[in-house]
Amino acid sequence: MKAKILEEKYTAQAADPNQTIMSAYQNRVLRIYLDKQEAVVEPLRMDFAEKYVGSKGLVIRYMYEDMKPGIDPLGPDNNLYFTTGPMSGTPIPCSGKLSVAAKSPATGTMNDCSVGGHCGIRLKFAGYDMAVFHGQMDKPTYVVIEDDEITFHDASHLWGLTSHEAERELIKEYGTEYSCLSIGPAGENLNYISCINCDYYRQAGRGGIGAVMGSKKLKAILIKGTQGVKVPNIKEVTDRIVEITRTVCVCEDTDYVFDEGTYAFLEACNDGGILPAHNFSAATDIKWDTYNGAVMKKYRLGKRGCGSCALGCGNFMQVGDAIVEGPEYETTAASGPQCDIASIEHNVRFNMVVDDMGMDSISTGMTIAWAMEMAEKGIHDFGVHFGNEEEMIQMVKDMAYRRGAGAELADGVKVASEKWGGTDFAMHSKGLEFPQYEPRGSFAMANSYAVSDRGACHMRSYTPNEEVFAASVPPYTYEDKGIVLYNLGESNAIKFSCCLCDLFGTVDYPLMAELLTMITGREWTVEEMAEVGRRVLNIGRAFNQREGFTREHDIVPQRMFKDKLKGGPADGQVLTEEGFQDILDQYYEIMGWDENGCLPQELLDTL
Amino acid sequence: MATKRLKFNKALCIGCQLCAQVCSAYKEGEYIPSKARLAIETYYEDGSLKYKDDFCILCGMCMKACPFDAIDMDKGWIHVDPEKCKGCGLCAKKCPKKVVRIRDKMAYICDTCEGDPNCVKTCPHNALTFE
Amino acid sequence: MKVTVALRGTLKKLFDGPLEKVVEIPEGSTCNDALLAAGIDYKELKNFGFVSVNNLRVMIDSEVKDGDYIKAFSRVMGG
Repeated sequence: MKAKILEEKYTAQAADPNQTIMSAYQNRVLRIYLDKQEAVVEPLRMDFAEKYVGSKGLVIRYMYEDMKPGIDPLGPDNNLYFTTGPMSGTPIPCSGKLSVAAKSPATGTMNDCSVGGHCGIRLKFAGYDMAVFHGQMDKPTYVVIEDDEITFHDASHLWGLTSHEAERELIKEYGTEYSCLSIGPAGENLNYISCINCDYYRQAGRGGIGAVMGSKKLKAILIKGTQGVKVPNIKEVTDRIVEITRTVCVCEDTDYVFDEGTYAFLEACNDGGILPAHNFSAATDIKWDTYNGAVMKKYRLGKRGCGSCALGCGNFMQVGDAIVEGPEYETTAASGPQCDIASIEHNVRFNMVVDDMGMDSISTGMTIAWAMEMAEKGIHDFGVHFGNEEEMIQMVKDMAYRRGAGAELADGVKVASEKWGGTDFAMHSKGLEFPQYEPRGSFAMANSYAVSDRGACHMRSYTPNEEVFAASVPPYTYEDKGIVLYNLGESNAIKFSCCLCDLFGTVDYPLMAELLTMITGREWTVEEMAEVGRRVLNIGRAFNQREGFTREHDIVPQRMFKDKLKGGPADGQVLTEEGFQDILDQYYEIMGWDENGCLPQELLDTL
Repeated sequence: MATKRLKFNKALCIGCQLCAQVCSAYKEGEYIPSKARLAIETYYEDGSLKYKDDFCILCGMCMKACPFDAIDMDKGWIHVDPEKCKGCGLCAKKCPKKVVRIRDKMAYICDTCEGDPNCVKTCPHNALTFE
Repeated sequence: MKVTVALRGTLKKLFDGPLEKVVEIPEGSTCNDALLAAGIDYKELKNFGFVSVNNLRVMIDSEVKDGDYIKAFSRVMGG
């Protein structure tokens, strides 16, 4: 059924005649009202784009504008945003990521996920900077976006299928020119651990984003785009982009991406003392070379990257009957040493099942590891035990379908530990499970998890870059760590707002400013890159502040303070409350927040 | 001297589609891969990684098919004479690599950027070469 | 005493072929001394990351013992 395009509220001029219309953007936001099955196109808020660039920053600002505080994340007022950046749809390398954002059911904070595949560039080529899904439907539906044709289709034959089964059906019918975003049973069942898959093996993973889509009864979105992206002086610009791709992006420093993908982090993290094991009780795994990159290559069938990617991190693998594009470092650690398992076949099988069920591999692995420790300590036996692979695979499915003990774990460790105990070792911040970097091996990482805008996340301030992977910076100290936290957070914030992939490598502000200037036709300065980064950190915090989050929520579990880490170079390390609070004080001061971690009114007014 | 042709090594292809974006930049004045003169992509189907590699191999079938003599290969690449081409689409039907684009009564066919293909310059892992 | 200096990441090309070298250094030497003996001055290398001894990360000025296996990693930019 074709959407009734109410009216195209679109004009070539923005409301403010002094407002620059930048190139590279489509200057079109698609709003789809699911309950009315209508769609509207409106101009992009160029004033927002000038302050926040695109993707991550832009969408948080839109969410702050569109959504009132206190809404139910699984209710009709939680919008689901798919946002590109100005670089999307240009050959700027590694610019193909798509932001998927909403208020998180798992944490109650804002949530901005980043998904690869080809959906990002296709949404831009369909003619949109952003597509927003409003409201909910009663019946399972899938939506097709093909340039300016938006159609709604009955998905009752797909509801109940796994994500991969649904995608297979849809792509068989529509063809591979469409990118498919789909949820699995976990999203359908509104689990806090649920993701949105793209092109089978890429995810908008965390914070229950799949449940938001499931609450709208939206099974899948198909995107095809045949429009273009315009930039000034396209030949000169493209010449320069190609030069940058061949010299700066694809270079020695990024060789590892095509060679091994994120497997390359295993040895560095292992030796660095931050590869976590046994539900964050230990660090390093002497068996890491039984499931590392060298082993992976024996089973690899092919390589794949996302749209506009120049690196190609995806490893398509088959071990026995387990097939997947993956697993990444996170999935390997979460299903490996964290659960006392050393088997590449298990990592691949876990990844395959988790993707198919439509679940976040990090949160799933960490929740199961917590449940294993609960059994080990005799507090409660959920049916999973350290070292047992089959139980773990079965539990993934039981969580997706909320069956038996799986129903207790489907919403993550915060919910489960509040009911069953074991909160000291329920490894999460604000309800989002820890990624695979041990803070007692990199002290400021604890604060990074605590202050991140969406709960414990490593794609924010990745402090091991300075604390561990550097020859002379001490990891087990608190002095001058606030600035480390800030600088890394700021650079990732601007990087992800351009829509660049993490693996592009060190963010070079002059390079980003040059690229943005070339494609948008507007002069972007190096100083503005830092300003935008800072502003993005602030707008994320402002959203959460409006939801009632303050310093008391910037916490990490007691394990970090009570349990000495076992093994590796950080053996015996433990954090102190004073030290943790000290880094928080340093960071709040740098951000201009008060001692309760809140933005004062003058700062809020600048956003 | 033998004519150079585009060659594709799928083991090195990551499916980024930068080739099509760059082609369309030089040929169409915007990044619009749907109008590029080649279409290379990877996709998953039935549990395997598959490759679609539509690019001009200089077989000359289009030239043989053209009823208006609008196509020549005199310089070692496909050249369409816009005065003679009627956009009838017979070349597109015969092209084994499906790279001919018919639009507004005109055939658009890869001309290897006159012997210096931009897609090859951009391919980040040299999956596309010109030899 | 003898220690092995092994290369990781983008440092792998530094020995023009082999990935590791055994070097002879005096007792009480540090990792830095061992690297210098192998021809690597970490301060000169923009992409130098960190070192580990026997699979445990240490600071560049830590002492090494006879038979130690030192890995030199390039900068890891992760997420």
